[in-house]
Parts: sequence; structure tokens; C-alpha cells
Amino acid sequence: MSRLSRTVIEPVNPKLNVSRNANLPHSPGIRVGGYIFLSGMGPVDPATGGRNLGPIAEQIRQTLRNMGHMLESAGSSLGRIVKITIVLADIEDYDEMNRVWREFFPADPPARTTCALQLSNGNGVEIECIALAE
Amino acid sequence: MRETIAAPTPGLDLSHHYGHHQAAAIRAGGLIFCSGMVAVNPETGEREHGTVTSETGRIFENLKLLLESAGSSLDRLVQVHAMIYDRIEYDVLNRVYRQFVPNAPPARTVMSVQIEAGFKVMLDVIAAA
Amino acid sequence: MPLATAIRAGDFVFVSGVVAIDPASGERMHGTVAAETRQILTAIAAVLEATGSSLAKAVKVNVLIYSMLEYNNMNEVYREFFPEEPPARTVCGAGLSGGSKVEIECVALA
Repeated sequence: MSRLSRTVIEPVNPKLNVSRNANLPHSPGIRVGGYIFLSGMGPVDPATGGRNLGPIAEQIRQTLRNMGHMLESAGSSLGRIVKITIVLADIEDYDEMNRVWREFFPADPPARTTCALQLSNGNGVEIECIALAE
Repeated sequence: MRETIAAPTPGLDLSHHYGHHQAAAIRAGGLIFCSGMVAVNPETGEREHGTVTSETGRIFENLKLLLESAGSSLDRLVQVHAMIYDRIEYDVLNRVYRQFVPNAPPARTVMSVQIEAGFKVMLDVIAAA
Repeated sequence: MPLATAIRAGDFVFVSGVVAIDPASGERMHGTVAAETRQILTAIAAVLEATGSSLAKAVKVNVLIYSMLEYNNMNEVYREFFPEEPPARTVCGAGLSGGSKVEIECVALA
């Protein structure tokens, strides 16, 4: 079997390129074969590049919108996500997260795992995913 | 096609040393899925607790051995879950981490979790075969 | 609450994180780590088989447990479900929703 190709994915909006802007040792995403793996994303404001730390519902919406932009930059989309991992700073936000989740994935949602861990910068949420490339 | 990748050195057989019921790695669909790697001596399997720096360095060296034995390499990593015992050492992790994946690094999510045996770091990775 | 979501994509099936659910009521089941692990792996086996896959085709499993102190209780049950050539696995301690003690996700070959 021939080797799968591996390429770096970057967002069209440079404000959402946290890897580059914060000089972190990760790529925003990697495309390999027919799959895209995204680094964990938080509630970054696409206009300023700063953090959007409002109520958890808004943080989750912003993060998922940013994820949509990242995937679209690579020719994919939220609808092509196959597996998503949602990390909450506070597990008590689980029900609220589920409400926002249904707004973005009303039918045929991807596989999902949720857990609660320490997050940085006061973020209430961090989300990563695996998607089909196209 | 699902293929078990055996530990390339005796110390990396965590199933044998610690009863972890798992393959060292599995190759399938053009990807290599590795079990969570911790700082063990690749020859003896002895746990090497240390600083975030020393544990991360040992983990990457172990992953290099494992991936290269399977025809892959660190620069073909696609996704890393960087598990750390406390996010307070995030910057320390980054300093050592970037030395091992200097160009086009894989996608990453840092997760502060409880790790086995009181280790400070565990890397859970997927690579392209 | 859905029992488990399995998404077929390319060569793989991705299974959502599964917690222990009482099949009669559809509600979360709270039990020992051993009981929850058994319930979860039984449910994952069923959902994989429904897509034409199986536990034997699992390539990677991630186990989240509320406390690593209970690792052995999980591991002893886990072994029963993967008698030969087990998949790659990562186990860690994390906060789980709804008082569940164990959550397991996996990737299998389609």
C-alpha cells in the first residue's frame, strides 16, 4: 500500500491561526489521506484574535464556528466531522453544551466524547475533531 | 487490514511489564494508532519518573523507536493528545516538545488528566504509516 | 440519550464515548467500575456489529476513568472483551458527566 500524504492545514483567517500567533508547537490541522485531524480549538474572536470569554454557550458557539472556518479552509466542513472531543473546564456545563450541540448538529451528529479537564487562559471549552477531507 | 505492531524493544512491551491489555500500536487504513506512551526504559521497562522535561524526552525517544520499527517516523505524526498531570507545566512541556517535532508539527490537544503510576506526561499519538 | 453513535468514515468506524446505560430504562447506570466497564463494552460490541465491524477490529480504544486508583477493576473486565491481539489503548483519569465512573470511545476498522 502506498504511503498516505501528510500536509499542514491553516485557516484562511490568520486571526484564527493560534499555532502561529502564539508560537506553539502544533499545526492548526493535518490532512492525511482522506482525513483531517484538527488541534484543540478554543473560543477565539475571529475579528481580534483575542479570547471570547463570555457565557459558556457563547464560547461553545464561537469555538464551533471557528472549527467550521478551519475545516472550510481545507475544503471540508462541520458536516464532515466524524469524531469530536469536547473538553469542558466545568462538567456542570454539560447540559448547556448539549443544547448548543444540537444547534450545530441537529441530525446525524458525529461520534462525540465529552470530559472535564483543566483548561488554560480561563477558557471554558476546548474542542478537537477528526473530519473527512472531502 | 489490521496489523498489530509489536514493541520493538523488550522495555516497550507494557502489556508484559504492567499488565496493560493493549497492543504497542496497530496499523490500519494507512495510519498507526499507538497506545499511550509513558517514560519507561525501552530496554528494561523500568519506570523513569522525572520532570516534565525528562519524561517528555524519554517518551518521544520511545515513540521514535516504535514508529521507525513500523516504517513511520516522528515527522509523520498526525495527531497528539499531550496528556499532562497539571496544566501549570504547559510551557515546560512546549519547550521540550518542540525539539522533537520542529517542522510541520502534528495537530495537538493538551489534556490535563490523571496518568498511571503518578507519571507527569503521557503522549497518545496517531501517525501516518 | 442515545446509546452510542458509530460513524463510518473511509476505512474506519468512530464510536462516541459511551457511558454505562441501563438498557431497560435508557438512563445512565451507576455501578462499580467493573459493572460499568462491562456494560459499556457490551454496548460498544453491539453498535460495532450493527455496522458490520466488531470489537476484534478495534484499532484504538480510549478509556476515561474517574480515578486511576480503580484502574485494575476496569482492566480485569476489559481483558475479557479483547481475548487476542487487543487494540492500542490509552487510559487516563478525567472528570466525567453525570456521575459516570467510566467512559470508553474507540476507533475500529469498518
